[in-house]
Amino acid sequence: MTLDQLLTDTKPALSQIYSTDLPELSQAKDWQSKYRVLMQLGRKLPAIPEKMKQPSLLVKGCESRAWLMHYYNQHQDQHFFVLDSEARIVKGLMAIMLCLVNGMSNTDLKKFNLAQAFDKLNLKPYLSQSRGSGLNAMMERIKSCCH
Amino acid sequence: MSHFDPVNFRGHFEFFQQNPDWVYLDNAATMHKPTAVLNAITRFYQRNNSNVHRGAHTLSQNATRAFEQARDDIAAFINAKDRQQIIFCSGATAALNQIAFGLMHTVLQPGDRILITALEHHANIVPWQLHCAGFGVTLDIVPLTADNKIDQQAFTRLLALQPKVVSFSHISNVLGHIQPIAQMIQQAKKAGAITVVDGAQGIVHDRIDVQLLDVDFYVWSGHKLYGPTGIGVLYGKTELLEQLKPIFGGGEMISEVQFSHSLFNKLPFRLEAGTPDISGAIGLAAAINWLQKFNTNEIKNYKTMLLKQFYNGLQAIPGLDILSSPVHNAGIVALNVQGEHPADVAELLNQQHVAVRGGQHCAMPFFSQLGLAGAVRFSFAPYNTEVEVATSLQALAQAVEILTA
Repeated sequence: MTLDQLLTDTKPALSQIYSTDLPELSQAKDWQSKYRVLMQLGRKLPAIPEKMKQPSLLVKGCESRAWLMHYYNQHQDQHFFVLDSEARIVKGLMAIMLCLVNGMSNTDLKKFNLAQAFDKLNLKPYLSQSRGSGLNAMMERIKSCCH
Repeated sequence: MSHFDPVNFRGHFEFFQQNPDWVYLDNAATMHKPTAVLNAITRFYQRNNSNVHRGAHTLSQNATRAFEQARDDIAAFINAKDRQQIIFCSGATAALNQIAFGLMHTVLQPGDRILITALEHHANIVPWQLHCAGFGVTLDIVPLTADNKIDQQAFTRLLALQPKVVSFSHISNVLGHIQPIAQMIQQAKKAGAITVVDGAQGIVHDRIDVQLLDVDFYVWSGHKLYGPTGIGVLYGKTELLEQLKPIFGGGEMISEVQFSHSLFNKLPFRLEAGTPDISGAIGLAAAINWLQKFNTNEIKNYKTMLLKQFYNGLQAIPGLDILSSPVHNAGIVALNVQGEHPADVAELLNQQHVAVRGGQHCAMPFFSQLGLAGAVRFSFAPYNTEVEVATSLQALAQAVEILTA
């Protein structure tokens, strides 16, 4: 497994999450169904193989461990990411985050406001209640990839 | 038959009236405060607020009297010989830091050893680590047995290395296991060691008699004993407290200051630099005085009953790894849903308004030994009810169902 392959596998997973799972999530009637969707989301993202989980990829500030890989396509000015977490709910929430920012230009990523974006999708409660889950730490790490 | 009335007991906590739809099982992290404590703090600020020990005015004398009365109450609570053996600090962490720092500079010499156990949380590891390397002191660790108890044979073996200090927790904050501290203290003393007991979880479970235990240091945090946050107690034997180098310098702890040097005040003040947490000490004394209206054994029996109900209920939930033993347990159950991360389980319980801790509980070395990412910790208090135990079991079953669907 290489970063290239992970990036290639992550891309279609994210677009599927955006088009299929996000609407399903917003229509879920009770918390049980919401969390079932969230956990499926995490499963759709490819896992980073253990061997590739270098300490430098670890995102601090999470109760559960999460890892982020980054690739910047200079030619097209696009940021691409691969992420993994050992906790399924966190990975699901991070997957949503990722499908909003993957492929963004440097300028757009710098400007990106996670709270606003989650609010628009009626997902804001997840953001506030999961402060300890490391979503904000992950967002900071993503933004630190900007130049 | 128990005369303990859980409904009456719970009625002392306004928190539950304000949060009727929550089941609070995170008591090992912090406990709720009875009205008696809240009133004592409010009353102090409303009627007696002044700084202590230094005022020439009557108000300050009143505040000093209330603060020193708190010291007396706490000394009596643990049967300390002398009131000056009660040092107020911000909590068990601060107390352990003071002890580690204070001994390193005076009692411990390069080449000496310190013995702790593999069950300790970070507050009883890091303060020692901070100074060990710099002072050439070695930290030894007592390993655990397969059922996560302190390996007593290894303890005896490591005592033969003649550690100068032996420090361990009374009750494990992760598993709830009650350590045989009386026996361990005796053994450590025979080996010539200074004994330090972290009573953060122990003080709330049982009555402590420091003279009977003959322990050198016993420390705890007020907020885990129905008191406010920010106050804690460092109990020590007088001759050892006198040898501790103060970790903080400042007002109150000196008798004479010149630019070339300072002379330290007598105990307890030499270890209490700056304005103390006056209302905190008063609040903690109020907690202790309130708690003594109830019978400790009846409270223990009630908690044992809740624990038994919880363990029985766990039998019906498939796929659990239970880390805590129900025997000699102070009311804490650490468990995992097989193959699932504790953070996920805790979040699904949170969705059902069951407050537990999911993670490593400030005991990373313990979990790395077991190769676990952590655990979900249910910790019970006497204000919890049988209905709450049933609710938390249902919530856990629901979480397992969602996770394994």
